[in-house]
Amino acid sequence: MARAVIAILTLIMLARVGIGTPDPIQTTDAISTLIDNAQPGAAIAVPPGIYYGSLRITKTVALDGQGSVIIDAGSQGTVVEILAPGVTFRGFTIRASGDRVDREPAGIRVLAPDATIEDCVLEDVLFGIDLKGASNSIIQRNTISGKDLKPGRRGDAIRLWWSHGCIVEDNHVSAARDMVFWYSEDLSVRRNTVELSRYGLHFMYSHNTTLSENTLRGNSVGIYLMYSNNITLTSNTIVNNRGSSGYAIGLKDCDNIVVRSNALLANRVGLYIDNSPSSVDSTGAIENNFIAYNEVGALITPNTHDNIFTGNGFIENEEQVGVHGRGDLTLNHFSKDGRGNFWSDYAGFDHDNNGIGDLEYRASSLFESLLAREPNLRLLVHSPAQQAIEFTARALPEMRPDPKFIDPAPLMTPPEVTLATSSSTSPLGMALSAAGLLAGAAGVLTLLGRSPGLPSPPRAPRRSRT
Amino acid sequence: MSTLTATAPAPPAAALVPACPGFSRATLAFARRELRDAVTSRWFPLYTIGFAVLAMATSFMALAGSGSMGFAGFGRTAAGLLNLVMLIVPLMAMTAGATSIAGERERGTLLYLLAQPVSPREILLGKFLGLSIALCASVCIGFSLSAAVLAWKAGGTGVGSFLMLVAMTCLLTVVMLSVGLLISVCTRKASVATGVAVFTWLAFVFLSDLGLMAGTIVFKLRVQELFTLAMLNPIQAYKMSVVNGLNASLDVLGPAGAYASRHYGSALPWMLLGVLTAWGALSLTLASVIFTRKSPA
Repeated sequence: MARAVIAILTLIMLARVGIGTPDPIQTTDAISTLIDNAQPGAAIAVPPGIYYGSLRITKTVALDGQGSVIIDAGSQGTVVEILAPGVTFRGFTIRASGDRVDREPAGIRVLAPDATIEDCVLEDVLFGIDLKGASNSIIQRNTISGKDLKPGRRGDAIRLWWSHGCIVEDNHVSAARDMVFWYSEDLSVRRNTVELSRYGLHFMYSHNTTLSENTLRGNSVGIYLMYSNNITLTSNTIVNNRGSSGYAIGLKDCDNIVVRSNALLANRVGLYIDNSPSSVDSTGAIENNFIAYNEVGALITPNTHDNIFTGNGFIENEEQVGVHGRGDLTLNHFSKDGRGNFWSDYAGFDHDNNGIGDLEYRASSLFESLLAREPNLRLLVHSPAQQAIEFTARALPEMRPDPKFIDPAPLMTPPEVTLATSSSTSPLGMALSAAGLLAGAAGVLTLLGRSPGLPSPPRAPRRSRT
Repeated sequence: MSTLTATAPAPPAAALVPACPGFSRATLAFARRELRDAVTSRWFPLYTIGFAVLAMATSFMALAGSGSMGFAGFGRTAAGLLNLVMLIVPLMAMTAGATSIAGERERGTLLYLLAQPVSPREILLGKFLGLSIALCASVCIGFSLSAAVLAWKAGGTGVGSFLMLVAMTCLLTVVMLSVGLLISVCTRKASVATGVAVFTWLAFVFLSDLGLMAGTIVFKLRVQELFTLAMLNPIQAYKMSVVNGLNASLDVLGPAGAYASRHYGSALPWMLLGVLTAWGALSLTLASVIFTRKSPA
C-alpha cells in the first residue's frame, strides 16, 4: 500500500516537472541584451517568462511581450523606463514597483515623445504610466491597479506632465490615486474606466481636450477640471462617486467648458461649478445631461455666471440645484432658445402639447434656502419636520423664499442618454426577505395570537367604546 | 373568538406558556393575552393595512422614476421609507401603548387583572411584550410588501441594508411603545392618554426638530451642540442610525453629520443605539415604578 502511494506521488511529481518548464531565474538584462543587439526601429518579440529587475529602454524599438512576459521589479524603484523617442511597448505584465513616495516609482515611466504603450497589465505599482515631456504618445488598452495603500498615499494610475497631443483610450484603472493631466493640451481621453480611486480624471492647467465615453465609478470624485479651458465632456457615465467632496464633475475656474450628454448618477454632488467660467466673456454649456439620484444635482457657487443649462434632466436628486453659499444663481441661464430642462419635481402642465411646460419652474424651497444659510441644518434632512417646512412655505406664499433661479421653459420629458448597463443582481435575496418577514409575522400572530393564554376579560365594553 | 376557543381543544394555559428566563410565567401569559386582544382589535388591522399600503406606495414611487436602471438602488426607497416610518411608527406605537393601561383602567378591567395573584410589574411587562410582538409583526408585514415591490422593480440590491432598516424600525417601535406605556400609567382616561400620546408624538416628530432649526439659526448652535441635541431625540437617533448603516457614515447629513462621524468614529452607531435603548429602558422602568405605586395592591 505504502509503495503504491509512493509510486503515485513520484508519478505526480514527475508529471509536474514535465509540464512546468523549470525556468532559471531570468533578469531584465536578457531583454536589454535583445535591445542592444537590435537595429534602431526593429521589432523585438520578447520570449515568454518572468524577468526580474527593472528595464531601461534607450533605443527606438518596438517591444512585444505578446501577453506572456512578466517584468517584476521586486518592489524596488521604477519597473520600466523609456528614454528613447518612438518606443512601442506592447503586451507586458509589469508588477511590483517600489513604494517610496519621494522617488515616485512607476510601472512605466516615459521621458521621451511618441511612445506607444498598449495592452499592458500593471499590478502592484505606485505610479502606473507616468509621462513627462512625452508628447504625441498613445496609451491604450492597459489595465492598471495600484498598491494596497490609503488613497492619498497611492500614486497616480496615469499621469501626463507636459505631454501634448496624447491619446489615452480604453484603459482600466482600479485602486489608484488619480488619472491626472498636467499642462498637457490637445488630448483625446476616451472610453477609460476608473474605479475605486481618488479623482477619476483630474485636469490641471490642461486645455483644448475632449473627454468622452469614460466610466468613473466609486471614486472619491469623478472628473475634476481645474484652471483648464476649452474642454468638452461628452457621454461619460459617472456613478456613485461619494468621497468627502464627492463630485461627479467639478469645474473650477475653467473657461469655455461643454458638458454634454453625460449621465451623473447617485453621486454626492452631480455637477459642481466653482467660478466657471472665470473670464467675463466666456460661457459654460451644460446640455442634455442626465443628472439623477444625487444628493445634490448641481451645486454652484453664487459668484458663478454665464452657464447655460438646456435639455438636462434633473431627476430625483435630493436637492436638484443647490447654491454653495448665500445668494442665487440668476447670473446663469436655465434655458436656451425656449428650451429649458426637465425637472422631476416640476408641478406644471403642458396644455398645448409642445413638450414645454406652460408654467415656469421656480426653484424655491424654504428648507433649501435655510440650508444655504445654515449648512449644519442638513442634519435634519429626511425628517418629517423638513416636509412640514416645505408644506408651510407652499401654504403661506409670504413664507416662500425668492427662487434660486427660474427655468422659464421646463421640458416635459427627460433627455435620452445611453447608459452603461447597470449590474442587476438577482432579486432572490429581496424576495426571500419579503417572504421571510411576512411568514415570520403571520406565523407569530397565528401561533401566539390565536391560542388561548389567559381568558380575556369581558369584551362587550371594549366593543362599545372603541 | 369564542367559537375558536370552543372548537379548539383547549390545553391548560400553563402548558402553552413555556418557561422563559427573565420573564415570569404570568408575564408571558399576559403577553399572550395582550397579543391576542391586539390581533382581534380594530386598531391593529387598521395600522397594519395603513402602514403596508403606505410602505408599498413609497417603495413603488421611489422606484417608478428610476425605471429598471437600478442605479438608484435601495437608497432612494430607504429615504422614502425612513420618512414614512418616522411619521407613522411612533404614532402607532405610542397610541397603542397609551391606550392599553389607561383603557383598562377606564373600563374597570384593570381591577380584574390586578385581582389576579400577580404583581403589577408582571402585568405591565406582559402588556409591553404582547404589544411589542403585535406592533413589530405589523411593521414587518408592511416591510415585507415593500420588499416584494423592491424585488420586483429593483432586483436584490441592498438586502442587508433593508433588513437593517427593518430591525432598527422594530427597535424604534418598542422604544416608542415604552414611552406610550409611561403615558398610559400616568393617565386615568384612554382619551386623555391618546391626547397626550399625540402631543408627545408631535413634540418628537415636529416640534423638537423645528425648535432645533430655529435654535441653530437664532443662537448659531455649533455642530457638536446641534448634533448632541438632535441625537437626544429618539426619532432622530433612529434616523441617524439608519443613515449611518446605509452609508457607513453620516457625511450625507452635512457638517454636523461629518463632525459626528469624524469625532466619534466607530463608537457612533453604538452611541445612537444606546440613546434609543435608553429611551426605551428608562420609560419602561419609570412606567413600572409608577404603575406599582399607583396600584391598590
